[in-house]
Amino acid sequence: MLAGVAGGVSETVGVNPIYVRAAFVCLSLAGGAGFILYVVLALVVPDDPMNNGDEVAPRASRPRRVGMALMFVAVMLFLQAVGLWFGPVVWPTTLVVFGLAIAIDTSGINYERSLEGVTAGRRSWWLVIGGLAMMVAGLAVVLRSLDRLQSFGVLAIALIVAVGGFAIVAGPWLWSLIEDLRTERRARIRSEEKAEVAAHLHDSVLQTLALIQRTDDPKKMVTLARSQERDLRSWLFDENSTDTDTIQGALTSAATRVEAAHDVPISVVVVGEANLPSDKHEALIAAATEAMMNAAKHSGATKISVYAEMADGAIDVYVSDQGEGFERDSVGDDRRGIRESIEARMQRHGGTAIIESSAGEGTEVHLTMNGAAK
Amino acid sequence: MTTIFLVDDHRLFLSGVSAELADSFDVVGQSDDVDAAVDMIRDAVPDVVLVDVHMPGGGGVAVVGNVLETHPGVRFLALSVSDAPEDVIAMIRTGARGYVTKSIAPDELKDAINRVAAGEAVFSPSLAGFVLDAFARSVPVEADPDLDSLTPREQEVLRQIARGYQYKQIAKRLSISIKTVETHVSSVLRKLQLSNRHELARWASDRRII
Repeated sequence: MLAGVAGGVSETVGVNPIYVRAAFVCLSLAGGAGFILYVVLALVVPDDPMNNGDEVAPRASRPRRVGMALMFVAVMLFLQAVGLWFGPVVWPTTLVVFGLAIAIDTSGINYERSLEGVTAGRRSWWLVIGGLAMMVAGLAVVLRSLDRLQSFGVLAIALIVAVGGFAIVAGPWLWSLIEDLRTERRARIRSEEKAEVAAHLHDSVLQTLALIQRTDDPKKMVTLARSQERDLRSWLFDENSTDTDTIQGALTSAATRVEAAHDVPISVVVVGEANLPSDKHEALIAAATEAMMNAAKHSGATKISVYAEMADGAIDVYVSDQGEGFERDSVGDDRRGIRESIEARMQRHGGTAIIESSAGEGTEVHLTMNGAAK
Repeated sequence: MTTIFLVDDHRLFLSGVSAELADSFDVVGQSDDVDAAVDMIRDAVPDVVLVDVHMPGGGGVAVVGNVLETHPGVRFLALSVSDAPEDVIAMIRTGARGYVTKSIAPDELKDAINRVAAGEAVFSPSLAGFVLDAFARSVPVEADPDLDSLTPREQEVLRQIARGYQYKQIAKRLSISIKTVETHVSSVLRKLQLSNRHELARWASDRRII
C-alpha cells in the first residue's frame, strides 16, 4: 500500500497480499527486521510498469502455502535466537495479526480489486471463525504479558475484540449485500418506468405516426400532429392540464376535442386562477366549447384563439377567430347553437355572453361568469 | 437583406428552418453548440439570431447572455418546443426580444424575424398570457412604480395579443396606430427586462425560473 512491495511480493508468490503485509508487520517486531526488509525491497526491486495486474501468479497450492508459513515461522525463530526481538509481545501479536489476516482473506471480502487473481479465494466460515479465535487468543496473551489481565476485564475485552473483529471482517460484506439489494431495486424501478414510458409512447405516439403516414390530407396531418403534441406535453410536463376540474384543464381538453373533430388548431391561453361552483363551471365550459365548435365549423378560419382571464369575482373567456364572420340577422332560426347553447345557458347561471361579429371581420364570443373565487 | 444566424442542437430542425428561410433572409451561419455559437455570432454579427432554449451547455440563455455582453446590438428571437413560463420569461429577462414556439407557421416566423430585426418585440399569445399573469399576481413595490406595473393601455394590448389578434387588428380594435401598438409592446418588454422588483422575482421563483 505504501511502495507496492507487499502487492508485488504477493503477485510473485501467489498469496493474498494481506498475508504478506501481516508478515512484514510481525517481522518488524523482530528487531525492526521487517521494516528494513521492506525499505530494501522498495529500493532494489524495480518498478514494473508493464505489469498492471494482468499477469498475476496463480494462487499458490496448499503445500506451498504451508511451506511459506513454516518458512516465516523459521525466520522468526532465527531472529529471536540471534536477539533481534522486541520481547514477549511478539508471538502473541503475530497470532493476532495472522488471525485477522486469515479471517479477512477467508471471509471472501475483496479489498483489492486489482489483485483478484490472488484474492479470489473461497469463502470459509470455519476459517473466518478460526482466524477470529486466533486473534482473541493472541490478544489475551498480549494483555496478560502486559500484566493488565483482570479476572472480569478479560471477558469484556475478548467480547469487544470479537465484535470488533467481526465488524471488520463481516461489515464490508454485509454492507455490499445491502448495496446490491439497493442497486437491484433501483434497476427494477428504472426498468418499470422505462416499460411505462414505452407503453405510453406505443399507445399514443406510434399510433399517431402510423396514422400520419396513412393520411393524404396535409390539414389532417397537422391536426394529428398537434393533438399528439398536446397529449404528449400534458403527459410529460403537467398532469394537471388534463384535469377538467380546473378552468384551464377543461378548456384545454375541450379545445383538443374540437380540434380533432374539425382539423382547426386552437390555442388556449389562461391568466390568473380562480374556481367556480360546479354548475357555473360546467355551463361556462359548455358555452365555450359551443363557441369553439361554431368557429371551427362555420368561420373558415385557419386558427382559433381561446383566452381566459380569471380573477376574484368573475371569469372571462374569449373565443376569437379571424374567419368570415357573420351578421346576426342572417342566422336562421333553425340554428339554435348561439341563442340556446351560448347565450341562454350563460344567463341561466348568472353569466353573460356578448357575441361580436360582422361579415369579413371574424367573430369574438366573450363569456363572463360571475361568482368565481380563488 | 436581413442577416440571420441559427442556433439549435437538433440538426434536423436546423436544416429545415434554414431551408425554409433561405429565400427571405441571408442565413450567415448556424451552429448546434452553445460555445461555438457564441464565437461564431461574435464573428458574423448577424441582425437576428434564432436561438433554441434547451441545449446542453447552458442553453439559449447562455448564448444570449454571452453575446449581448460584447455585442449589445445583436437581436435574439427565441424559438423552442417548450411553452413553459419559466423558459419563456428566462429568455426574455436575459435579453431576447421575442419568443415563438417551433410549431409557428413559416409566414408568421418570417414576420416575427422582421419585427425583431426592426427592433420591435415579438409576443406570442402565450407569452402575452404569461406576462399578464406575472404582473396581475403581484403588487407593485415603492421603489420604481413606473417599471413595476403595466399601464392600462399596455395591459389591454397584451390582452388583445393573448386573444390571438395581429398588431394591425389590435390597432383597429383599440383605435390607435400600429406604431402605438408596437410602442406599448416594446415598453412591456423593457419593463420585463429591467424590472427588478421582487414580486416578479417571486413569481419567477414560484415557477422555478431562478
